[in-house]
Amino acid sequence: MTLARYLIRRVCHSIPTLIGALLFIFILVRVLPGDPARLIAGPEALEEDVQRIREQLGLNKPIYIQFVDYVSTILRGDFGRSIKFGTPVINEILFRLPYTIALALVAEVIAVSVALPLGILSALKPNSKVSYITSVISLIGASTPSFWIALILIYVFSVSLKLLPSSGAESPRHIVLPAITLSLLLMGNLTRITRSSVIEVLSSNHVLTAVAKGLKDRVVIMRHVLKNALIPIITIMGLQVGNLLGGAIITETVFAWPGIGSLLIDAIFFRDYILIQGIILFMVLTFIIINIVVDVIYAYVDPRIRDVLWRMS
Amino acid sequence: MEKVLEVVDLRVYYEIPQGTVKAVDGVDLDVFKGEILGVAGESGSGKSTLALTIAGLLRPPAKVVSGKVLFKGVDILKLGNDELRSIRGRKIGIIFQDPVTYLNPIYTVGFQVGEVFEAHRGGKVSKYFSEVINLFKAVRIGDPERRVYTYPHQLSGGMKQRVLISMAIAEKPELIVADEPTSALDVTIQAEIVELLNEIRKELNTSVVFITHDLALLLEIADRIAVMYAGKLVEVGRAYEIYKDPLHPYTKALISTLRYERKKRPTPIKGSIPSLINPPPGCRFHPRCPYVMPKCSQVDPKLSSVGGRLVSCLLVGDGGGGS
Amino acid sequence: MEDELILKKVSEARRKQLTSMWVVFKSNRVAYASLYVLAGILLLVVIGFIYTPYNPYEFDLSKARQPPSPQHLLGTDELGRDILSRLMVGGRYTVGISFISVLLGSLIGSILGLISGFFGGRVDTVIQRVVDVALAFPTSLLAIALMVSLGPGVLSLIMAISISTFPVYTRLVRGVVLQVINEDYIAAVKLLGRSSWYIIFKHVLPNVSSPIIVQTSYYLGFSILLASALGFLGLGIPPPTPEWGSMVGTGRVYLFSSPHIVVFPGLFITATALSFNLIGDGLRDALDPKSRMFLRRF
Repeated sequence: MTLARYLIRRVCHSIPTLIGALLFIFILVRVLPGDPARLIAGPEALEEDVQRIREQLGLNKPIYIQFVDYVSTILRGDFGRSIKFGTPVINEILFRLPYTIALALVAEVIAVSVALPLGILSALKPNSKVSYITSVISLIGASTPSFWIALILIYVFSVSLKLLPSSGAESPRHIVLPAITLSLLLMGNLTRITRSSVIEVLSSNHVLTAVAKGLKDRVVIMRHVLKNALIPIITIMGLQVGNLLGGAIITETVFAWPGIGSLLIDAIFFRDYILIQGIILFMVLTFIIINIVVDVIYAYVDPRIRDVLWRMS
Repeated sequence: MEKVLEVVDLRVYYEIPQGTVKAVDGVDLDVFKGEILGVAGESGSGKSTLALTIAGLLRPPAKVVSGKVLFKGVDILKLGNDELRSIRGRKIGIIFQDPVTYLNPIYTVGFQVGEVFEAHRGGKVSKYFSEVINLFKAVRIGDPERRVYTYPHQLSGGMKQRVLISMAIAEKPELIVADEPTSALDVTIQAEIVELLNEIRKELNTSVVFITHDLALLLEIADRIAVMYAGKLVEVGRAYEIYKDPLHPYTKALISTLRYERKKRPTPIKGSIPSLINPPPGCRFHPRCPYVMPKCSQVDPKLSSVGGRLVSCLLVGDGGGGS
Repeated sequence: MEDELILKKVSEARRKQLTSMWVVFKSNRVAYASLYVLAGILLLVVIGFIYTPYNPYEFDLSKARQPPSPQHLLGTDELGRDILSRLMVGGRYTVGISFISVLLGSLIGSILGLISGFFGGRVDTVIQRVVDVALAFPTSLLAIALMVSLGPGVLSLIMAISISTFPVYTRLVRGVVLQVINEDYIAAVKLLGRSSWYIIFKHVLPNVSSPIIVQTSYYLGFSILLASALGFLGLGIPPPTPEWGSMVGTGRVYLFSSPHIVVFPGLFITATALSFNLIGDGLRDALDPKSRMFLRRF
């Protein structure tokens, strides 16, 4: 009951942010040098054609009216038409979205299956081999440029060993290298956060109480350490979607993986500003929505927050 | 009288990058059956470390460097993990200071108290809920049938502390270590909790080691008092006698802050608590002692017997040991 | 007389605190070693201002794509330019721009955070909203969007990275400010007639400096990766400027035949970012003793 209320409250809170983001994206494109109408029309077009296009796009109206128009078209789900392809932007995005989602999911699965166990073990056994490996992995993930790691992986696995393909998305094997690259990025952060979260919970007082009761070590760890540590970890995992989106842009570009990340870069090089605008908007929207979802899950999981909400409503 | 606990020349040190913290540096202590022994000391005196060591809850970077802690004749410092576990919560209970952080926020209080039973009797926690309710009644938590299902943050400080107390007494232990159980509470609640502990002591005939910085509190409830300073004990004796006639200069200063005539201001003890990494040479209190003699910076006095009291001061005892 | 004594004791205590922090930092051997690595890289860059083995811009196609040799320690790139020289000069851009941007971002962010926390009310709400909008973007996306809008170039890159990094500082500083001004002793200080500036400098700044320092060290590593990623994508500084990321970007097609063109710039990027991260870890342990002190073990 109250969770729904919290959800609505969070959504309302996000609306001004969303509008701000829309404004920012809107200005982004308008600030660009060059005349968008001419760009669309092409360098050989006649002046009246350019003028016609300008009127079509409403580019001669005052700027605030343009913004309002922009917002209302967005609300209708119309992200405009791509300059390069001529097709609706939203179609382009939706067509390539599944690829990005697939890549993101596989990368996340890999990252979580490696990072969580390693993080937990290295927190429980500091100064051990596990701890060392974990540090190394987390440092690699956090300090190496992902485009470089991608190229190295390509060199080793595609060129030298000829084991895995390096570009495109024709077969399931094609997802391996890009997913590993992306997951390394995530792992860097996730191992560190997992480990520090567990360490922090380990040194908290309620764990001492649990030990003082005479509970078995395993029980203490499972009940009083991990469950408590998992709460912030899950929150961070949700926020990692931002890293996923950003990292996907580079990974998809290097591996020519046909997702929305590489679509953005293509759009940038085609100077297809409407497409650029649309993709950025889409990504921001996704990020905002995921943040809201994460907040709600967090509120559900932590009884303290649940009660604060109950009292607030 | 039967001795429940005997601490023999205990030294507990911590290694940190800045040096070695000598938190407990040669402490000898006896606890008799059914008595309330108060341990008084300022923060930084090492008393919490002492509490944790007695309860068998010491963790790295703290290490027992030497000494014994004999619980009913058995040195718990030498026990294996399993044996320690059977003592924790069942033979020795501990009540911590800050009920907010010492309770797990994501489980109900009933569950957390029930865990004590689960740990020592097995089975699922849920089957012990009726016993938990009885415990809550014993520690005077109102509306216990409902309260077992509440979360810690829904309870007041005093009630949380009662929950911690009920955890400690659940299996009727022979020794209860209370590490500043009242310091985080309002004065009025403090009195109730102290009263409760006294009753529990009488009912279960259990011994209580009551650790606090509040000497006044100890004077009311404790049978004997041990005064701790900078990792060592400076005076041990019957509570009333210490109040009437404190022997060690530190104790004297503490007592004088408690009783002062209305016109005069209480005089603080000059100086500040010494670092436990680099304690002063000789008697640790000498830099702040109003009766300091040149000898005091060279010889570190041991606890010696002075008419039924143990004092470590060159002025009073011979400072040469022999308790 | 007593006041002087107290002040002396306070500055002594401060000095002792700083020394002990340094001791803790030094005891972290990896972090300490990173200082040396970083110093080495910076030294190379600084030397690059006065001397490089070859002209980093002069190309000679007959010498293109040569592997490392005694004449060219790190080999030559696709246009025959000496890679080592290009790295030395490029460091100015990759490292220098990151430095400036993060410094700028931290400055702007912290000042905004101070203003926001201190003055509250409408100002706070406005600033908070702006920060919310900035944080609604994944950081790399924000930087990319800004570069698209501002166009390539050094100034744009600096602006893009500063704007991408300032929001975290604002949130950080504002949090600390709000915490501090709610303490009771601040009310006392105010009653004594001290100005707000005094409160800021004497009470807020000390509390806020360690999280800022730790965050900055991490952000320095992050911005190196960000700047080079933008360079790789062709969104950063246009060629022929030897920014490390764009070196990887242009050399990418020759990965199969001459991997060294890609490997060495990436190595430098990694080494720099790694050092910053390790130093950040070391700083965090040194400045916040609680985080490492009592490791629990069963």
